[in-house]
Amino acid sequence: MFVGRVPSRGALLALLSESEICRLISLLAGLSLVCSCGKSGSENPAGGPAATLPATPCEAVTKSGVEMVWLPGGEFLMGTSQGNADEGPVHKVKLSSFMMDKYPVTHEMFTKAQLPNPSHWQDNPKKPVERVRWRDAKQYCNERSLLEGLKPCYNEKTADWECDYPAGGYRLPTEAEWEYACRAGSEGPYDFGPPDKLRQYAWFADNAGQKTHPVGQKKPNLWGLYDMYGNVSQWCEDVYSPTYYRESAAVDPRGPASPGRDVKRVLRGGSWNASAAMCRATFRQGQRTGDTDACFFTDFCGFRCVRRVSAEELQVLKANAK
Amino acid sequence: MKMTLFRLGGLLAALAWLTPPADAADPAPLRARLKASPFKIAYESYADGNWDIFVMNADGSEPVNLTKTPDLNEHYPQVSPDGTRICFVADKGEGREAIRSLYVMDVDGSHRQKIADYAREPFWSPDSKVIGYLDQEYPKFNVIDYYTKGMNFYEMAAGTITPHPNYTNLHHLYNPNFCANGKWIVSTLHAGMGYDHAILLIEAHGNKIINLNIPGCRPRFSPDGRQVAWGASDNEIAVAPIDTDADEPKVGEWRVRIKDATNKIYHVRWSPDGRFLSFSRGPDGEGDVSKAGTFQAACEIMGVYAPGWNIAAVSAGEAGTIDLNQANEADFTMLTTNGLSNKESAWFRPRVK
Repeated sequence: MFVGRVPSRGALLALLSESEICRLISLLAGLSLVCSCGKSGSENPAGGPAATLPATPCEAVTKSGVEMVWLPGGEFLMGTSQGNADEGPVHKVKLSSFMMDKYPVTHEMFTKAQLPNPSHWQDNPKKPVERVRWRDAKQYCNERSLLEGLKPCYNEKTADWECDYPAGGYRLPTEAEWEYACRAGSEGPYDFGPPDKLRQYAWFADNAGQKTHPVGQKKPNLWGLYDMYGNVSQWCEDVYSPTYYRESAAVDPRGPASPGRDVKRVLRGGSWNASAAMCRATFRQGQRTGDTDACFFTDFCGFRCVRRVSAEELQVLKANAK
Repeated sequence: MKMTLFRLGGLLAALAWLTPPADAADPAPLRARLKASPFKIAYESYADGNWDIFVMNADGSEPVNLTKTPDLNEHYPQVSPDGTRICFVADKGEGREAIRSLYVMDVDGSHRQKIADYAREPFWSPDSKVIGYLDQEYPKFNVIDYYTKGMNFYEMAAGTITPHPNYTNLHHLYNPNFCANGKWIVSTLHAGMGYDHAILLIEAHGNKIINLNIPGCRPRFSPDGRQVAWGASDNEIAVAPIDTDADEPKVGEWRVRIKDATNKIYHVRWSPDGRFLSFSRGPDGEGDVSKAGTFQAACEIMGVYAPGWNIAAVSAGEAGTIDLNQANEADFTMLTTNGLSNKESAWFRPRVK
């Protein structure tokens, strides 16, 4: 049984209700807009004061109406020495800011992108899509980018659908981005504190009843992201390597190079059929992408999208959220 | 006298039981038997940087390109049971902008006619008078085979299109085809209609749906409607009896199993006399998007370039297992060998309309 340290801040915040956390996030975000002296904002083309990126997470709503959470860049300790062998060594990673979907991509979001829903459980449009091949997830990212007039990140004419990170469209999170978002500033296996609270935050084998559930029914993590620990596991961009942490880049790591064939990609987070031990911030899985299967039956594979935005655009997207 | 006749009948019956079917006893190589047959086989192939429909003799000889259209990519030939027409789909354009349309032409490639846009997976009625097909789920192109909704019937003589009576409930079907009595359509379904994945019987002119409870995909009725062949897995094709005259048809004990541990085997099709089966065979892969008019997905999916894939044939007469890596030339032969993504074969006895 994995037992990690419980951050006192996490324990304190775990006592707060969801609405209280949201209010706190909004308050901090609002304060940051007033007080932040971050230097990542770009020049304001209108000639007014240049917008700056806030210092704390804030909610945003995209042009096509998808709820996201903007996360400030920062440094964190990735991995753990108390988990499985592939979760170590613990190493320092520095990340740029990014926005992440507040919920895993749902059936209704997938349908809006005019993609065939491959999911096993289709009884509720608010459920997360599953049985999604890695490339299906990337296709969704590109379709959503096109829907919002953004340049897609993925080049569909390359074998691995290579990611053009600066393109500015939607993409899968890197493994480091996913863990950073899940940890939400905490240092233990869960941002909410002791493991016995997992039921409040995740659908997993002990409480899911062998199926997925509509997103957003459990408590969010400290940064307002729902279903990070359970419901569906989530594809990341990175090639899976059990030894990658020994060689990972320190700034915005993007995983090892693709070996070409028989690639496994990283899946993060637990799922409806995962044990509690798998529903941890640092737990890693390598999963075949399913791209050579006409029918992909792995019904715990879902995903969520990320995107980087400028300070000016974030202001607009934040306003949409109000 | 009655007793003598009874004895004679019994003797004949015993002799018939002892005598194996013609194919099982025939020592001639399968290719020779196919050469002697009156049949031809249509199939799709990626030749000269483009998908086209070819027709070859049943032994694989004398392939002829019927389409030769550099701007269109033809797929999925289905020959009418009377052997006069071929319906197929053709993709125009690339990527998400591609449009898949339904066409019909004579078996010699002449009199080509477009029937519908955004149309997929055509199939013939037993009397060769109607083409069934599935609508595309959304206007934007997607290569996935179950990207369909509803079902339509195109009346060849009248030129009219009629939706299936259960149109609104049919969703995510692929590879449908009629049984000989016209009562049922068998089809694969993935992620829809309340099913996870299934091979279904769909009442052709009603709302009844029966789950055949067999694993895999891409079922195909034998020409007499008394057997069904399907892909039981990536590496196995199975054949089993089915009574399509029954109100609740069920699949019987698997009679033939074709196995290939080293290649994928897909798209099984019957010869018009039910004695032979053809199928596509090749290595696992996910396409080659550097090739124009192709998409990236599993090799068996229409529109995905499948390097090394060829059309193969086996005898369907004898019950038992055929291991393709050990089968001899009496039971198994490769009909194409160029590996140019040869898929989706369709047998016919050619007739001029």
